[in-house]
Amino acid sequence: MPIPVSVYLLFLAPTAALLVAFFLFRPLRPQWTHWPILASCAVVAAASMDLAAKTYTGWSMDAPLGVWMAAGSWEVYFGVRIDGLCAAVLAMVAVVGGLIHVYAAGYMREDPGFARFFLCFHLFFLSMIGMLVSNNFVQFYLFWEGVGLCSFLLIGFWTHKQSARSAALQAFVTNRVGDLAFLVAILILLKAYGDTRFEYVFGQMAYGGGPLLLLVGVLLFVAAASKSAQFPLYFWLPDAMEGPTPVSALMHAATMVTAGIFLLARSWPLIAFVPGLGTLIAAVGGVTAVFAGLLACGQTDLKRILAYSTVSHLGLMALALGLGRVGIAVLHLIMHGFFKAVLFLCAGNIAHGLGKSAADISEVGGLRKHMPFTLACFMAAAISLAGIWPAAGFFSKDGIIEACLEAGPGWAALALTAAALGAFYISRMLFLAFFGPSPEQKPGHPHEAPAGMSVPVGFLALGALLAGFLSPGIGRLLVKGAMSPEESLALAHFSWPVFAAGTSAAVIGFAAAWFLTIARPRFDWTWRREHPGLQALVASDFGWRHVVAFVVKTSWRFAEWVGGALDHRTWDGFLEWTSPAAVSLGGAVSLKSGRLSDYMWWIVMGTAALLAAALI
Amino acid sequence: MLTALWALPALGGVLCLFTKGETSKRFATTVAAAMLGYTVWLSCVPYAPEAGVWGLVESGPAWIFGIRYQLALDGLALSLVWLTAFLTVVSFAASWRGAESGGFSAGFWSSFLFLEAALMGVFLSRDLFVFYVFWEATLIPMFFIIGLWGSEGRRHAAMKFFLFTFFGSLFMLVGLLALVTHYHAVSGVWTWDMGELAGANPTGLAGLLMFVSLIIGFGVKIPLFPMHTWLPDAHTEAPAAGSIMLAGVMLKMGVYGFIRVLLPVFPRLSWDLLPWLGGLACVNILYGSLCAMQQRDLKRLIAYSSVAHLGFCVLGVLSWTPEGVAGGSLQMLNHGITTGALFMMIGFLYERTHRRGLSDFGDLVTRAPWMTFFFGWAVMASIGLPGLNGFVGEFMCLAGMARALPLMAMVAAIGIVLSAAYCLPAYQTVFWGASTAGSVSSKVLDLDLREKVLVWLLCGIMLYIGLCPTPLLDALAPSVASLVADGFMP
Repeated sequence: MPIPVSVYLLFLAPTAALLVAFFLFRPLRPQWTHWPILASCAVVAAASMDLAAKTYTGWSMDAPLGVWMAAGSWEVYFGVRIDGLCAAVLAMVAVVGGLIHVYAAGYMREDPGFARFFLCFHLFFLSMIGMLVSNNFVQFYLFWEGVGLCSFLLIGFWTHKQSARSAALQAFVTNRVGDLAFLVAILILLKAYGDTRFEYVFGQMAYGGGPLLLLVGVLLFVAAASKSAQFPLYFWLPDAMEGPTPVSALMHAATMVTAGIFLLARSWPLIAFVPGLGTLIAAVGGVTAVFAGLLACGQTDLKRILAYSTVSHLGLMALALGLGRVGIAVLHLIMHGFFKAVLFLCAGNIAHGLGKSAADISEVGGLRKHMPFTLACFMAAAISLAGIWPAAGFFSKDGIIEACLEAGPGWAALALTAAALGAFYISRMLFLAFFGPSPEQKPGHPHEAPAGMSVPVGFLALGALLAGFLSPGIGRLLVKGAMSPEESLALAHFSWPVFAAGTSAAVIGFAAAWFLTIARPRFDWTWRREHPGLQALVASDFGWRHVVAFVVKTSWRFAEWVGGALDHRTWDGFLEWTSPAAVSLGGAVSLKSGRLSDYMWWIVMGTAALLAAALI
Repeated sequence: MLTALWALPALGGVLCLFTKGETSKRFATTVAAAMLGYTVWLSCVPYAPEAGVWGLVESGPAWIFGIRYQLALDGLALSLVWLTAFLTVVSFAASWRGAESGGFSAGFWSSFLFLEAALMGVFLSRDLFVFYVFWEATLIPMFFIIGLWGSEGRRHAAMKFFLFTFFGSLFMLVGLLALVTHYHAVSGVWTWDMGELAGANPTGLAGLLMFVSLIIGFGVKIPLFPMHTWLPDAHTEAPAAGSIMLAGVMLKMGVYGFIRVLLPVFPRLSWDLLPWLGGLACVNILYGSLCAMQQRDLKRLIAYSSVAHLGFCVLGVLSWTPEGVAGGSLQMLNHGITTGALFMMIGFLYERTHRRGLSDFGDLVTRAPWMTFFFGWAVMASIGLPGLNGFVGEFMCLAGMARALPLMAMVAAIGIVLSAAYCLPAYQTVFWGASTAGSVSSKVLDLDLREKVLVWLLCGIMLYIGLCPTPLLDALAPSVASLVADGFMP
C-alpha cells in the first residue's frame, strides 16, 4: 500500500522549515525566522486534516519506513501508524499548535532571542507530531525525549533568570525519571517479544508475558505520570511557567503534557491486560484532579492557576482512562487543548498588556473595560473549562462524570469535586482579573494585544466554544483502525441525571466564586493576609514540595559523599598513600637497592611464581 | 598496506623531531591528515567477501615461541583505526592556537604521532605478543604528553598514570604468558595467534587466575572500578589534545581487549562470571555518575562521565548477544567522538582563559553562542538523547544485557537519570548562568571558522550515527557475528 504524501509532509515540512530557518533566515534575517516555520505549520495542519479525513472514511496504515538499528536478527524500525486515535489527536495538535505559533510570532517579536525561540518551538512541535505517528515504542521514545529536550530549552529560554534555569532542570530531570521507567519497559518488551511495534506486541500479549507485563504496565504508567504531571511527579509543571507564555500554552494544550495520556491510550490493550492497573491509574488520576484543583484555588499568579488547572484536568483524563473509557479521555484531551490554549494566551495578553512576562492576580483587576475582546475569549474558554453546555468542555467532562457515576459513588465524588473546583478557580480568576476592583497602582496600561496576537486567540476561542459539536464525529474517527476494543473508545450518551450532576457541580463552583470575589471584593486578599499558615501550606503544595526538596537534597549529599569522602579522600587517598608507604617499606627491608637488575629479578621471580601457579 | 598504518606515523614522528617551531606543527598535522585520508581510503577498499571476517591480513615469518608478526583489519579494528586517525587530527587542530602559549615543541607533535602509531598497532595486531608490545608502547608518548605539557599537577598525574597502567600491564603480561604456556601444555603448539588461542577456553583455577590477571590488565585502561582513580587526574592535567586521545581512544583499548582477547579465549569463564563482571560495570555506571555530580572542574566531570559510559560498553560486550556486542563496539566509537568534542571545546575555553572550573564561567550564551550551541549538542549526545549517537550505543548495550541478565540492565539504566543530573547543572552553570564576580567569561571569544568547521563535523557525525547507524553496524556485523557465533552461547 503506498504511503500518502501527507505522511511524508508531516516530517519533511517541519524538518525543511527548521533547516531553512536555521541556515538562511537566522544569520541573514533573524526577524523573519518565523516565516518558513509558519508555512510549515500550515502544511502540517493541512496534511493532518487530510489524514483525518482519510481515516474517517475507513483508511488506516501501519508500515515500516526503514531500519534504525540492527545487529544480527535484532532490529528496531522507524515506522508510521495512522489510525483514528492518532488522526484525532494529530488534528488537534496541528491546529492548536499552529495557532499558538502565529500568536508566538507576535508575542516574542521584541525578544532578542526570537530566532532561537522559534527554532526550539518548532522542534518541539515536530517532536510531538513524530511521537503521535510512531508505530513502535522505541521510536515513540525518541520523540518523547525530543519533547523533553525542547521543554528544557524553552522553559529555560530566559537563561539569565535563575528561576527559569532551575525550572528547566527540574522539568528535564523529573521527566528523565519517567524516561527511565519507559526505557526499562521497552527493554522488557524487547526481551520478551523481540519487537516493539504496538500491533505486534498487543497481538503477542495474549500468548504470554505474565508477570513481566504487569511490570511493563506499571512502568508505562510511571512514564506517563511524569510527562503528564500526575501526582507524585506533577511538581515540575507549575514551575515550568518560567518559560515564555506561548511555550506554556503549547506545552499545556498541545505538545508536552498530552504525551503521557496519549501513551496510555496507545498502550490501552496492554494496560487493560494487567488486572488492577486501570483502577490504579484511575485512583491516581482522581487524587491528582482533586489535589491540583484545590491548589489551583489558592494560587495568585495567573499562569500558575492555569498550570494547576492543567494538572487537575490531566488527572481527570487519567481517571476516565483508568476506568476503561479511553475514548472519553482522548476527547477531553482534545477539548482541553482548545480551551487551555485560549486561557494561557489570554493570560499572556494580559501580561503583555501590562508589559511583563507574568502577572499576579493582585496586580490586575477591572480589565473588562480595557480588554473586552480578551474578556470574551477568556469567558468562552472558562465556560468550556467549567463544562457548561454547549461549550466544548461540557461534552467531554460530561462523559467523565458519566463514566465515574457508572463506576461507583467514590469515583463520582472525585470527578464532581474536581468539576466544582474547576468551575470555582476559573471563575475566581475571571472575576478577579476582569471584574474585580482595579488595583490602585497599575504597573502598566492594560490594552488589547495587536491583531497578530488576538486573531489566533479568537479562533481558538471559537474552537473552545464549538468543538464539542464535533464530538460524535471524533467518536466515529477514534474507532477507525483501533487496536483497543470498541467499547473502550465509545463516547458518552447524553443523559439528564449526568447533565444535572455535572452542571450543578459547575454552578456550585461558580456561585462560590461569585460569593467570595464579587460579593466580597476584599475577601481574597484579606483571607490570604490573615492566614499566612494556610497560605504557606498552599505554596508548598500541602507539604509535597518539601518532600521533593528533601529527596533532591539527600541525593545530592549522597553524591557529594561518594565523590568526595569515598572516592577522592578514602579510596584514592589510600592508593596515593601506597606509593610513599612502599618507598619506606622498601627502605626498611632494603629491597630498594636502586639497581635495575634487582628489580628485574623481582619481576622475573614474580612472573615465574604466577606461571607456576597457572600451570598447576 | 596495514604495516603502513603504524609505520607511517612512527616515521613521521621521528622526522618531526628534526623540525622546529611552526614547521613541526605543520608537518605533524600534514602527516596526521594524510593518515586520516589513508584510513578513509582503506575503508573504501572492497573486501573480498570470501575472505571472511578478516578483510585484510598481513603476516611475517614465525619467530621464537610461535611469535609471529601478524596484522589484520576487520570492521571492529577499522572503526577504531578510523577513530584514532580522526581524533589525532582533531587533537592537533585543538592545540593549534595554544601552540605558543603551551610551549608545544617538536616533541609534543611527534609524541602524538608516536601515540597514533602505537594505537594503530594495538588495534591491528593479530598476534598477542605484538599486541602487548604496542600496548606498552602507547604508555610512553602519553606519559610525556601529560608530564611535560600538562597543567599544574602534571608530574604527579603523569606518574600516577604510568604506575597504574604499568601495574595493569604487568598483570596482563603474566596472564598472556600463562595463557600461551597453558595452550602449549594442552596442545603442544607454541602460538600467540589470537585466532588460534580463541578455542583455548581454559577453566579451573589456572584459567581463573589468567582471566583475572587479564581483567586487571584491561580493566585499568577502561577503567573498571576500583582501578579508575588515575583517570580523573590524568584527564584533568593533560593538555586538551592529550585528554582527547586519552578519553577518545586509549580507554577503548581495554574494551577492545575484552572483545578481542578475553571473550574469545575465555568464553566459559566470562559467561560464568558475568554477574560479577556485569555488576562491576553497573558499579562503574552508577558510581562514576555519582562522582561526576559533585565535580567542580569541567575536565574532571567529563572524566568521571567516561567511567560511566565505558561501563555501558563493558555491559554490552559482556552480554554475548549480537546487539550487545555491536552496541558496545559502537559505543566505543560514540564515546570517542562525543568526549573528544567535549574535551576539545573545554580546550578552547582553556586556551582563551586558562580556567576550567564551573564557577569560573557563566552567561557564555551571550558571549559565545556558538560554543553554547555545540557544547549543548555534545552534552545531549553524552547523556544519551535519542536521535544522537550516544543513545544508539547505550540502548543496544542495554537491550543486549536485558536479554542476558534483565535485572542488571535495569540497574544500569538508572544511569540515564544520573547522567542528566550531572551534565545539565554543569552545562547551565557554565553556559547559561549569570556571570559571577570571579568569572572570566568576558575573555571568551566565540569559535572561529577553523574551530567551527571541526565542531560541525563532530556534531554532524553524532547526529548521523544517532539517526542512521546502520552503515556502521553493518561494518561491525561480521566481527560481531564471529564472536557471538564462535563463542559460547548461553
